[in-house]
This record gives sequence, C-alpha cells and structure tokens, in this order.
Amino acid sequence: MLATLVEALPDPILVVAGARRDDLSGLRFVLANAAARELLRITVEEGLLLSAIRDPDVLAAVDRALFDTLDADCAFETTGAQTRGFRVRARPLDVAWPGLSAALVTFHDETDVRRVERTRVDFLANASHELRTPLASLSGFIETLRGHARDDPTAREKFLGIMQAQADRMARLVADLTSLSRIELDEHVPPRGVVDLGLVVGEVVEATAPLGPSRDVQLQWDAPAGPVMIRAERDQTVQVVQNLLDNALKYSPPGGDVRIELAIGLSDTAAASAPDRMPRISLVAPDPSAEAYAVLRVFDQGPGIARQNLPRLSERFYRVGGQKSSDKAGTGLGLAIVKHIMNRHRGGLSVASAEGEGSIFTVYFPMAQGPSDAVAKAS
Amino acid sequence: MNEHIVKSYEDELNSLTAECARMGGLTESLIADSITAVVKRNQELAAQVVIRDEKLDEAERDIERKTIRLIALRSPVADDLRRAVAAMKVANNLERCGDLAKNIAKRTLVIIETDPLTPLTRAIERMGKLVLGRLSSVLDAYTRSDLERALAVWSQDDEVDEHYNALFRELLTYMMGDPRTITACAHMLFVAKNLERIGDHATNIAEIVRYQITGEEAAFTRPKTDALSV
Repeated sequence: MLATLVEALPDPILVVAGARRDDLSGLRFVLANAAARELLRITVEEGLLLSAIRDPDVLAAVDRALFDTLDADCAFETTGAQTRGFRVRARPLDVAWPGLSAALVTFHDETDVRRVERTRVDFLANASHELRTPLASLSGFIETLRGHARDDPTAREKFLGIMQAQADRMARLVADLTSLSRIELDEHVPPRGVVDLGLVVGEVVEATAPLGPSRDVQLQWDAPAGPVMIRAERDQTVQVVQNLLDNALKYSPPGGDVRIELAIGLSDTAAASAPDRMPRISLVAPDPSAEAYAVLRVFDQGPGIARQNLPRLSERFYRVGGQKSSDKAGTGLGLAIVKHIMNRHRGGLSVASAEGEGSIFTVYFPMAQGPSDAVAKAS
Repeated sequence: MNEHIVKSYEDELNSLTAECARMGGLTESLIADSITAVVKRNQELAAQVVIRDEKLDEAERDIERKTIRLIALRSPVADDLRRAVAAMKVANNLERCGDLAKNIAKRTLVIIETDPLTPLTRAIERMGKLVLGRLSSVLDAYTRSDLERALAVWSQDDEVDEHYNALFRELLTYMMGDPRTITACAHMLFVAKNLERIGDHATNIAEIVRYQITGEEAAFTRPKTDALSV
C-alpha cells in the first residue's frame, strides 16, 4: 500500500543510499517514484545515482544529508525546451542498513512561481517600450491640433486619421501582449482537449478568405477526408492557424497564392523537415518526442526571409524589416505567440525560407492516441 | 587511504563512468553560469567561473590516472576496454568544454566594461541554451548507455551552426554601424565561437558513446549546411 502511495505522489521523490563519501559506485538511488523517473528521464527504479542526476549542487546536498546527517536544500533546473525550476530538499533517513546511510530527496516544482515573476517583469519592460512610439506620435499630433492646425480642416482630418491608426496600433499591442502573457502562464499545463485540426483550419480559412480578394491573394486549401484529432486547446489552435494565415496573407504579393497543407502520422524529424531545399530552422522542437504528428504547412510567395534572420523570428517584437516595416499592420508578437502555444502543446514550429522564393511555416501537433480517447474528450 | 580495500572490477568500471558523470555535471553548471554571467553582466559570477575551472582540470587528471591504473592492473578487453577508453576520452572533451566556459567568463569581464548590446545578448542566450541542451542530452546518453539519444545529438549539429552564422552576420552589422562597439562585439564573437565549439565537443562525446556501445568508429561525415565557417 505504502509503495503504491509513494509511486503515485505527484512530486518526484528519490531514496538514496551511500557507504562513504566519494565512493561513487556505492552511491545509488534505491527508489524513484513515477514522477521522479519522468523528471530525470530514467526507466529503472534503482541504479547509480550519477546515472540519474549530475547537478553538482544536488550532489552536494545529498552528500550532506547522507554523511553529515544534516538537512540540505538547493535549486535545480532542468535543461531542454521547457526549463523547469525545482527546490530540492535532502533529508537524512534513519534506517538500519548495515554499512549504509540513506537520505530522502524531494523535488518541489517552483516553475510557476518563478514564471509569474519573470512574466510580470517582461510584460512591463516590453509594453512600456513598445507603447512609447505611438504614444509620442499621438501627443505630438494633439499638440499640433491645439496649435497652428486648429483652424485648418484638411490638416485636422488628416491628423485625426493618423491618430486613429496609432490608437489602433496601441490597442492591437495591448491585446497581443495580454494574450501572450496569459499563454505564458499556462505554458507548463498540458493541453486538456482533443481537437479536429482539419476542422479548425477549415473554419479559419473560411473566416480569413474574405480578406484575400482585397489583396488579390488566393487561399488554397483542400480539407482532409477524415478527422485529424490532436491533443490541443481549441482556442489556442485557432490562434496558431490564424496567426500563420495572417502573416502569409500580409506578406504575399498581389496575385500570389497561399497554400495550406495538412499531413498526418509523421515522425518529428519528418514533420520539421522542409519539402524544398531552402534554409530551414526549427524554432520549437518537441521534447521528448511523440509517436506521430499532425503537420500543418503554410506556403506563401512573399519576399522570403534572409537566412541570418531566421533564428530571431520568434523573438518578441522582432520584425525582419525593423520597425520601419510598419506599413504591414502587425505587432511583431504573432510568431512569439505561436511559439509559446506550440511549446505548451509539446509540438513544433519550423520555418524554411529563401529570399525571393517565399516561405514555408510548419507547425506540428502530437496526434491524439486512440479514437475512443478522442470521442470521450471531443465535447 | 582506501587503496588497500579491494573493490570489484565491475565497481571500478562503474566508478569511472560515475566520475565522468559527476565531471559532466560540473561542466554543465560551469557553462550555464558562464552564459548567465555574460547575459546578466554579472562580474562576480564570471570571476567564480574562472576559478571553478580548476576543479575540472583536477577531475580530468584523476579520471585519467584511474583509467590507466585500471587498464594496467585489470587488463580489460572488449566492452570493458572500450568503457575505460571512453571514460578517458569523455573526460578529455569535458575538460576542453570547461576551458571554453572559462574563456567566456574572462571575456565577460571585458564586455561588462562596455555598454550593453541587448539584442545580441539575447541571441547569445538562445545559442547557449541550445548548446547546453545538446551537451546535457549527450551526457544523459552516456550515463544511460542510450545509443539512440547519442545518435540524435550527433546528427543535429547544423542548428548550432545556423545560430552561429546568424550571430556572426549580426555582429558584423553592429561593428560597421558603430565602431565604438567593436571591442565588445569582437569579444562577443569569440563567446559565440566558444559556444559553437562546446557544441562540437558534444558531438564528439556522441561519437564516443557510439564507440563505447557498438565498437564502431564514426566513419561517415555528418550533414553540413554551413557556408560560412572554414
């Protein structure tokens, strides 16, 4: 009973035993519950401690608990796409194992606490910086309208138009920033729903298609024959598809095509690869990878992105042409939002592009496992 | 002294791998701290990294000594011999990584004297995270004898190169734009190059893991899409 209980605990727990300080082959973990095995990516319940964890601070804390019989704690961070932060506590255990001392090592997840802190700081810094430009322009025009443009109706109309555009820009920025910080807060919560990706794409295409003709851009999309079930949050899936389509439309030249393709059952390497021989970079990669992915590719015939700009694409407020590209209405947050959503969904985002040849944006979601699973959660 | 305590042969081999793992942990934290120091402009941390590198040199000498002792006294063959040789080679690669981290820390001390270059440090941070992730992955593969994971690291080196090339171009733009940034940018360039070389060491370790498990040497070359580096 007790063993089952420990195994089921949500916090990772290890029991460590050792004979002497610096006897590394004698330093073993004798118990690792399911959460610990997942965190440390091990498959066995006992083995050499150093094959499970190598962080010097954690090892020092373990040594202290084992051989000085003192409580010790330290911070521990995982590496990889989704960094998680833990507070590790080592406590000496009073056991009667001949020649061995034992200690209990617990991991307490502090990722969310740290994330809230960091998100708040980032939000303030980004928001104030990005709002400064439209704000300065607004107050400049107000000053002019109060001053020498007061009695000039043509100038007044023109200025009010510019002010409207700036206010719109500010509104978009605030909307994007709030949605980004909300997404960030949920980034470590696995998605709960199951969504038909084909259906979502179809809906977004339908909603976006009316924008096409005004720019003389054709959207090409063939709905898949059957449902494409992915493990995802519906709203966020819509946002991903929407942002990618918006970008593709925005950067397409008049008369261009935007092609949308859906493929299913691909491995992560196949999903991330580009069909053409363009320079390619993956901005989010799943870790660890799932069995099969549903892959959405958006092809545009825009100006393309120079190779040296590819790694910066998902950076906040980064725009390839600098802020001068502001004739394209955008906040520079669209891909950052996509990146965070894909990271939450344990999916991937990759870009292939060459100057003058257009771009291919690829996102891939892990597919929902069984059909029964999909039906149960579809509502 | 514990020399007279006779340990089992298997224990001795396990200790070697474990010591490499411990050294790997030290290396990872050294690299992570050197990246934090350069990104957050933390002078104290940078100075610490320079001092802590000595521990790695010591660990490497220790592993080498123990390996030679084991080979001399136990004359291992086949798998066991490969494990011993691999330990020595891994330690050697880790020691080089430590030197590179130390070099990053030393350059940080110079970079701190100049004005901050925010977008660049962000690129460095991103590249650092990528390289550190690769090293972690390959050390996981080593400590768990996981051939598949080692091969995954081995075949994905082009991503680091892509980051390095992008940073290289960005630095050139900065230097051309404002000659006053040349000192800091030149140091940043070396920081990026050091990170790229740490990535290469991770690839080397992946090859060693493969050798340890299969006995095969890396015969064919990895895919390269690099136009810049020579």
